[in-house]
Parts: sequence; structure tokens; C-alpha cells
Amino acid sequence: MDLLRALAPRRTAHAHCDIPCGVYDPAQARIEAESCYRIIEKYHASSDEVFRARCLIIKEERAELTKHHIDVMWHDYFKPEHVEKYADLHDVCWKASKQASQVKRTVDLEEATKLLALIDRIDEMWKGTNGPAATRLPAA
Amino acid sequence: MRIRATLTIALLTASTAAALWAPARSAARLLSRSWTSRVAIAGRSMEPALEDGDWVLVDPEAYAARSPRPGELILVPDPRAPERVLIKRVATTSRDGQLTILGDAPDASTDSRDFGPIAAEAVQGRPWLRYWPLRRLGPLR
Repeated sequence: MDLLRALAPRRTAHAHCDIPCGVYDPAQARIEAESCYRIIEKYHASSDEVFRARCLIIKEERAELTKHHIDVMWHDYFKPEHVEKYADLHDVCWKASKQASQVKRTVDLEEATKLLALIDRIDEMWKGTNGPAATRLPAA
Repeated sequence: MRIRATLTIALLTASTAAALWAPARSAARLLSRSWTSRVAIAGRSMEPALEDGDWVLVDPEAYAARSPRPGELILVPDPRAPERVLIKRVATTSRDGQLTILGDAPDASTDSRDFGPIAAEAVQGRPWLRYWPLRRLGPLR
């Protein structure tokens, strides 16, 4: 066993597959961000402390999901040639990710609006890079 | 006669030794530099050439003097996460030093189809020998 340990490589070379399903759509992020927006509205409209506590918990979850879906677009969908076309691609995705964290922290509707606007920018870039045709199945 | 035969044998021995010396020395060098860059394969994107769990030797100097050619195996940092290294096969090369790299098992591979071409100068070496498991010991193609 010691011999085997001595022979064992120190590094691992990955021959992996990320198993990309190839289906991408910023709508996934948008829906979760809209949930955050609505939850914040409901939070402010309510005086029931239990309900308000639930709002915060759900908002936390939805904002985390928003962030995840933004990251998937950023890491998995966008390719180097897309960055050539949209020089601010990294900046927009980065800001959107950060804005999702901001929405987690606050109950400020303004922050949720900013998040939606950033996701819409990602949506524009997705559409501008042939995203809908390349990644979504046509309607049956 | 005897002296002549002895001389002939001595000459033959000397020239054989000389002829073997250079290749033996370069083989020893190849082994010693490859030994320090041996890697374990994780994943199935290079099947059947490489299997999950194979241990292979990588020659870090194979592409020092020339660029990898289509069909050759390469070890290269993952362009999306440079601290990871990938093993793939060169599909095409371009004049400006860009390589398209693919896995041998396309359905189980994330490669240039996802992250685009890579720079030839990023390549870290050529996997050339599987040394474990022993029953599949041998050169890689």
C-alpha cells in the first residue's frame, strides 16, 4: 500500500463532463427576482409579524435562487465570443449577482427593481447572442 | 585470426553501446521529467483512450519546441478555472496558436464546444504513458 501511495500521482487531470443540458433562459432568474419584488411589497403591506417573518425567509431563498440562475447564465451560457460582442457582459453579470445579494439583505423595493433591470440586461445579451434559438426548444 | 576476431567483437560492442547510449539516456530523461508530472484521470470524457482512475505520465517538455498537433493528447488548465487541469485531445489548430480541444467521448465531455479554443502556449504537456492499472500499462495514443 505504501508502494502504491508512492506511485500515486499528486495531481488530478479532469476529463469531466459538466453534463450541460444546454437550456438557458434568464427568465428563470427573472421569475425568482419578481418573487422577491412581490414578497417585499407584501411584507410592507402586512402588520402580521409572523407573516412578515415568513416573507423574509422566502425572500432569502428566492434571492439565493436568483443569484444561482444569474451565475449559471454567466458561467455556463455566455462564451468568449459573447464577451467580444458585449464588452460589459462580465460587469453586468457581476453587478446582477451582487444585486441579488443586496435584495437578500434589504426590504427595499428599489433594490429589487435594480435587480430586475440588471436581469433584463442579461436577457438582452442572451437574445442578442441567439440564445433563444440556440438553447430553448421550440414550442410544440 | 584470434586477435582480429577479438578486435571485431570489441568494436561491435563499443559501437552498439554508443548506439544504445543516446536513446537510453534520453529515455531516462523522459521518464524522470514525466515522473514529476504524473496525473490521475478523473472523469469519463476521454474514454476509451483514458479511463476514470487511470494514472498517466505527462511529458512537460513535449510541446516546448513545437505546438501540439491534431490528434495529440494534451494537459491544459481549464480556461474557466485555471487551478484545475484538463486532459483532452487536439481537434484542430490555427495559425495564431489557438487549439480546439475535444474529449474522445463527446457526450461526456465539456470542451472547446463550451469554452471555445484555447491558447497553445497554455498547454502543460503531453500524456504519453499509462502506468496504472498495470494490466493496461502502455503508451497512450
